[in-house]
Amino acid sequence: MEKGFVENGFIIDLSDAKNTTQLVFELSSVMEHPEVKRKNVCLKLGALDLKQSQLLSIKALIESMDANLAFIDTDSEQTEASAVSLGIIVSEISDNLEPSIVCSAAEEVKDEEVVIKTECEVVEEDKTVEVHADLNSNANPIETAEGIEDIYDEQSTQELSEIIPAEHFEANFEALAESEGLIKAEEASKYILLDTGDVLPEGAEENDTNTETLPTLYINQTLRSGQTVSYEGNILIIGDAHPGSEIVAGGDITVWGILGGIAHAGSLGNVTSKVRALKLNAIQLRIAGLYARRNDTLNVPYVQKTNEFTPEEAQIEDGKIVIYKKLRRD
Amino acid sequence: MTGRVIVITSGKGGVGKTTTSANIGTALAKAGYKVVLIDTDLGLRNLDLLLGLENRIVYTIVDVIEERCKLKQALVKDKKNPNLSLLAAAQTRDKTAVNAEQLKSICDTLKEENDFVLVDCPAGIEQGFQNAVAGASEAIVVTTPEMSAIRDADRIIGLLEAKEEITSYKLLLNRVRPSLIKSNEMMSVDDVVEILSCPLVGIIPEDTGIITSTNKGEPIVNDEAALAGKAYRNVAQRILGEEVPFLDLDEPKGFMAKIKNAFAKLKAKV
Repeated sequence: MEKGFVENGFIIDLSDAKNTTQLVFELSSVMEHPEVKRKNVCLKLGALDLKQSQLLSIKALIESMDANLAFIDTDSEQTEASAVSLGIIVSEISDNLEPSIVCSAAEEVKDEEVVIKTECEVVEEDKTVEVHADLNSNANPIETAEGIEDIYDEQSTQELSEIIPAEHFEANFEALAESEGLIKAEEASKYILLDTGDVLPEGAEENDTNTETLPTLYINQTLRSGQTVSYEGNILIIGDAHPGSEIVAGGDITVWGILGGIAHAGSLGNVTSKVRALKLNAIQLRIAGLYARRNDTLNVPYVQKTNEFTPEEAQIEDGKIVIYKKLRRD
Repeated sequence: MTGRVIVITSGKGGVGKTTTSANIGTALAKAGYKVVLIDTDLGLRNLDLLLGLENRIVYTIVDVIEERCKLKQALVKDKKNPNLSLLAAAQTRDKTAVNAEQLKSICDTLKEENDFVLVDCPAGIEQGFQNAVAGASEAIVVTTPEMSAIRDADRIIGLLEAKEEITSYKLLLNRVRPSLIKSNEMMSVDDVVEILSCPLVGIIPEDTGIITSTNKGEPIVNDEAALAGKAYRNVAQRILGEEVPFLDLDEPKGFMAKIKNAFAKLKAKV
């Protein structure tokens, strides 16, 4: 099932659905996505025959989720007839994505070249996102395409716990950080330094070895409560780290998911180490000898899952742990 | 000063040992006594969550035993009450990381500077239980009015009686629902006491507030209005040796209900 964004519009492709139940199930799972709110939804229904009543309940479902049904695209005559009698616009979504649109989208968000490039590739491969001229007379080009799930799959084919050179990952993140224009989060509000002071393990000394030179442990699974990963180099986790889990790395920690447990970067004293996550919700952040706890106002003891990711990066600055927030695109 | 070491145990899981530990500990600390709570449920720790202290834990009981830190460093002070502190269990280790002698020596050290040391025991009767009981001289057996929980409590009482160090044990009946007792669907308090023949230290009514208090990390004793909170405060007073009558859970609270009740009594007389 594919879905994509247009200017204040949202195409939901349900043409793969074999029956109404499946269709409604898929639709409601997409509609739960917070980005669908207040959007003009365009439904691609395929060859499925829908009665008036069924179409009406689909419309009601969309409206109940605070969105609006703009038009439908269908191959079935019956569905078309039901739509016409209900006053729902029937239109077509073209199958090919015009190259000019992709280009203009890339131009529009020059600063985010790294992200957009990847996403455009996905768009071109799948031909999933379309804009139709009839949709809106001053229809704007696609802003972004959601191909993130596909990227996930590509990476998940990597072997579990494979050790790879650090440069591969570092380069991308640095580029991303620069292009996004980092802003400083209000440090006081999210994390509070513990007065534990410097608590480096015995024999460890403060150092500033470049973490790019360290090997990286690649882990492709969700860390659950009670599970610990420790490694003398960098750790990259594709998945969430649940509260109660612990990640201890000699270098950087990167979580491609929600970080909810304890993360200790630079555990052997490397003060240049960073902790980064798509959602930085760690109960405790430790970098080298500095320990910080999550503010009590943010203290959510149960596992908090989210679809809204706010990538953040924590590092040491002037003897404090500082968190940088990546600006959101919208 | 020599404090009292009380273990809170049950045998069966999910009857409210940890909730009881957190609430009695908080209530005693509020009454002005110095209290340390020890979580001995290694690998499945929860007490820190109930107290909302998870983000403050740096060292655990295993760090103390393996001498990575001093005992004082591992004690996490409560957010509100400086009289209360927590010695957390290690989440990433299992019960075999600790043995009974080590726990006993920790309890012995802690009771010298505190009025109360409350040990939250894990479910089961294996090493975790043996560890938790090792340093204690008193025990509170938590149970619910269900056959399975009572059977396990009976087993635990048997094990406690066999231990010389345990000089007294008392029963705390948790999650009591007066409406179910009335309709004969739940064992009454008297039934449970009779089956277990064990003195009672408290009756805690079922309270949905417990769920929210657990999720918020705020023990229910801090909620003056909650009935379960009041019941736990009474338990703390009884532990301190005061005579407090048990809460009358049967009495309906609302004005209309009282009138109805009066009518019902009148009818019964006629």
